[in-house]
Amino acid sequence: MDQTLDVSKLSDADKKELSQYLQNESQKAAIQQNVHHIADTCWKKCITSKISSGRLDKNEEACASNCVDRWMDTNLAVLKHLETLQRQ
Amino acid sequence: MGLFGSSSTPTASSPEQQEIKSAVMKHLQQEAAMNNARQLIGKVNQHCFDHCVPAPGSTMTPSESTCLSQCMEKYISMWNVASKAYLARAATERKTGGLDTVAMNSLATGGPSPSSM
Repeated sequence: MDQTLDVSKLSDADKKELSQYLQNESQKAAIQQNVHHIADTCWKKCITSKISSGRLDKNEEACASNCVDRWMDTNLAVLKHLETLQRQ
Repeated sequence: MGLFGSSSTPTASSPEQQEIKSAVMKHLQQEAAMNNARQLIGKVNQHCFDHCVPAPGSTMTPSESTCLSQCMEKYISMWNVASKAYLARAATERKTGGLDTVAMNSLATGGPSPSSM
């Protein structure tokens, strides 16, 4: 790693700022990760016919946004149920 | 935790410190962008190979090539739709006092390396 990245030279305030920045970036990365996962899943569900255009057709687009919404619903449902199981 | 460990210099940031800080930020950003691109390329490869080259021949046919370019564009469109829908849903979920969607979904996808990758 190059010499300029010696973080031990930073002030506490700078370190704090960097730490905050890192936190934001990793949250962004987590969101992107989810989007990758969802795009992967919904591609499998929604792109079933032969590909004849570089754009999503009407049905595919509708399928895609439904797919995302139902995926989120599923997520919520699983967590909710898990909560009830924990309370037992 | 060596990166953000103690060793304090409680003065205002010197030009050198500013430089270090922005270099670290830039580095982080590049790392994230690279990771994102790598993921996308991997997925496109996987799905479009499956879709467009069902029976690999001795050479790539023109129709396979066409299919691959269209597939790639389509996958990116899918990614964009997914991203938009996800963020929209996350926003409404936060407003209605639902769960923290980010935390919840990182649970659901098993963190940074989904099994399907």
